[in-house]
Amino acid sequence: MSEPITRRRILVDYRIRASRCVNCGRTYFPPKFFCNTEGRSSRMNYVDYFNSRGTLISGSAIRKPTNKFLHLGSFISGVVSFDDGNVRVPGRITDYTLPDGELDITRLIGRGVVPRFRRLYTDGSQGLIYYSSLNFSFDDDYYPYQEYVKVEPSNTSERPGIVGYGVYLPKFRIKNEEESGLGMKERTVPFADEDTTTFAVEAGKRALIHSGVDGKHVKKCFLGSESTPYAVKPSMSTVCQALQLGEEYEDGFFSGGIDSQFACKAATDLFIDAAALVAYSTFGGEYVMVIGSDNAQAARNDPLDFTVGAGAAAFLFGRRDVIATLDYYVPYTSDTPDFYRREGQKYPRHGGRFTGEPAYFKHVVTAMKAALRVSGLAPKDIRFVVNHSPNAKYPYQAALEAGFEKEQVEPGLVVKYIGNLYSGSSPTALAAVLDLAEPGDCIMMTSYGSGAGSESYIFTVTKEIENKRERSIPVKQQIENLHREYVDYNTYRSWKELS
Amino acid sequence: MDAPFGWKVKPYAAIIGAGRTAFGEQWYKDPEKLLMEAGIGAVESVDSGLRRRDIQACYFGSFLYQATNKLGLVPGYMARELGINIPMNTTEAACGSGGSAFYNACIAIKSGVYDVVLVGGFEKMTDRSSKIIDDLMFAADPHEFDAGFTFSGLYAAMMARYIYDYGRGDRRCLEALAQIACKNHHHAVNNEYAQFRREIRVQDVLKSAPIADPIRLLHCSPISDGAAAVILTKPELAKRFTDTPIYVIGSQQATDDVSLCTRESLTGIKATRLAVGKALKETKLSMENLQIAEVHDCFTIEEAVFLEDSGFYEKGKAWESIYESYESFKGSKHVPYVKDGGGLIVNPGGGLKADGHPVGATGVRQIYECFKQLRKEAGKHQVEVDGDLNLALCDNIGGTGGIATVHILARDIS
Repeated sequence: MSEPITRRRILVDYRIRASRCVNCGRTYFPPKFFCNTEGRSSRMNYVDYFNSRGTLISGSAIRKPTNKFLHLGSFISGVVSFDDGNVRVPGRITDYTLPDGELDITRLIGRGVVPRFRRLYTDGSQGLIYYSSLNFSFDDDYYPYQEYVKVEPSNTSERPGIVGYGVYLPKFRIKNEEESGLGMKERTVPFADEDTTTFAVEAGKRALIHSGVDGKHVKKCFLGSESTPYAVKPSMSTVCQALQLGEEYEDGFFSGGIDSQFACKAATDLFIDAAALVAYSTFGGEYVMVIGSDNAQAARNDPLDFTVGAGAAAFLFGRRDVIATLDYYVPYTSDTPDFYRREGQKYPRHGGRFTGEPAYFKHVVTAMKAALRVSGLAPKDIRFVVNHSPNAKYPYQAALEAGFEKEQVEPGLVVKYIGNLYSGSSPTALAAVLDLAEPGDCIMMTSYGSGAGSESYIFTVTKEIENKRERSIPVKQQIENLHREYVDYNTYRSWKELS
Repeated sequence: MDAPFGWKVKPYAAIIGAGRTAFGEQWYKDPEKLLMEAGIGAVESVDSGLRRRDIQACYFGSFLYQATNKLGLVPGYMARELGINIPMNTTEAACGSGGSAFYNACIAIKSGVYDVVLVGGFEKMTDRSSKIIDDLMFAADPHEFDAGFTFSGLYAAMMARYIYDYGRGDRRCLEALAQIACKNHHHAVNNEYAQFRREIRVQDVLKSAPIADPIRLLHCSPISDGAAAVILTKPELAKRFTDTPIYVIGSQQATDDVSLCTRESLTGIKATRLAVGKALKETKLSMENLQIAEVHDCFTIEEAVFLEDSGFYEKGKAWESIYESYESFKGSKHVPYVKDGGGLIVNPGGGLKADGHPVGATGVRQIYECFKQLRKEAGKHQVEVDGDLNLALCDNIGGTGGIATVHILARDIS
């Protein structure tokens, strides 16, 4: 498709945009500018179904797909209705592998479905990548439907902090068959139509739902990653368009942001910037979203190939209805070449002299100790400690070295079950402990990015966390979700390569 | 002119000649050569003779020629092939291109502008077999393509919903939708031009390779090359060319949303309902008056819903009647759909399923088939009925029902 066609389609497909007649309520997908019933007296508004629940009303198991979809093998394409049948759309069922033998599609008719932002196909290896929300998963499966209710904030905090968060972990997993000594039991695997951008949209969507924040008040979005699908073209703008971040104006949004890169701390490095911006009057915005998202890359049979995961965590920073204030920040950086990837290379190089010590441990522990010193807190004052988790061993060792106990580290060691999410690693661990935290708890988060740097943050949890609790989908719940599915090594590799 | 049953009907046009190619893979022929072969066949079939210079205009129907053969400006190709420099038009209406071209030609004749026109439909699908599944989706909404649908998938969604709403778990519904394929294969056995001239059994259909569940390979019409052509003239001039012209007494077209998914019903085609309704109304006929019908069975579900959309069978009940008609058939030739002691023979030459479906040719091939049947020139697959064979209907669909063109043909209007 040409760029103009793509741009026009984006406006419809990212949000499942339809047009509705103000007079009679009849709704049209794709959008029409007049109503068949009302004719010249039509007054049409745009509506969208991005946050809606639909119903599968028919479909088919496509066994011989078009060339554009050959990469997905066999799958279900369906017809989905919204608004009690007022509008119907075509869509593909995702996160679904066809059972062996014939599928009785009539048994699926009537099931609720949730729109999912997914990749459709690409124009070869050098062309555009196409995304759409006209992909659906069953609402009684892995990914539950959540209503997006915008909540008017009631409290303003003097100190900025986290106002909401969302974590997205893919449905599919691979088990580590042999214990490598790194404590990794299983890892998240992207479905064949997922990538870093789709993870980011899903996590951001959940952060908006959790916070109750109206996306139009989010004035900046940072997306930290080392696996964005484009070398040049921001994923952040896709997230912004899909989530409608910022005040809308002529199909664009008054918001800014960037994709950032600093190995695994590409997102967390910007937490302080997000907090600073919302406290800075010239910024003129209420919220900043920071997303850490990665489809962590590793070459086949590389040691990393047995630790990498996939997923994203999004955090909204602001000063209203804050659930955890950001109280202390200590960064530490040096030019230490421990892990790197040259432009045009598919996989990172690592495992040289500096991996582990002095790269990871020196930076992480130095930042942790400095944060304790700056804050005047003792390890016992901190309830949860989360560190960047390339595996389950390093973050634990670093915490012990900084003076913490096992009990403080263990709740954040979700890496055992999800793998290393690279830029999403420490943010997801932070979310996991926020899921458990109570008002007054202090949390220390220390990230690490190869190349190399760390920063330690100390957060204090507020009472507001209880008000938003029921709107989150806890990390533990995602890890233990009974609908998660395991795939074999070859499937894992092929899906990962597609992303 | 007096119509059958004492009503007055003024025909749109009269068909005086028809030609076609065999359908199937014809890798050794260019598309314009196929069309030329059918066209010359039609010209030469005119009993009293027809010279090329007697043709005053041509109406062509085709869908994918620009994609499959990288050619455009069909009139230019055909002016060269035919060696005449007359007005020519090409109509694109997906699988309904042939029917639409014929519809336009009928209007042209009825308008009085032309005395004699040639209508040709063609398609060359196997030249691009590796991409044809993608290409066919030009006739669907792009969102359907992006949902991963194929054409078989869209019709499968129609079939699934039909089974869900009306089959209600009854195995006979699945069998009925397979029997349609068996019937049409049976009809094609003696059709010398047909792509598949072999019998198949219900179990063959139900055990054939799944393509888009619940659609299996033998529910589907094939990928085909081929062309068909007919010659039209004014009714009042027809007898100059032949003693047995076939009159076009009904010619209607209706359209609907290109997207199956966003239409009001998944289990019926509104455009068919409207076009058949108007054609029956203008001819003052009912479906029960018709003896044969060429129906657009690109997938067997489409033949079933046609029987309901046309009003021949009650909504949701066609599968039961199809099943009973097939099971109760004791003859050896054409299997009629039985109703109230009468019967309607659908797709006597095998339909799209067995005769083949070079999409742009199909609508014209349907006219060809009815022309031959009504003139009793269908050879070994000639329909035999009690009394005179006089009335036939052609139903040509584009896409999943974005357009439907319906023609009613009569042999005897005196």
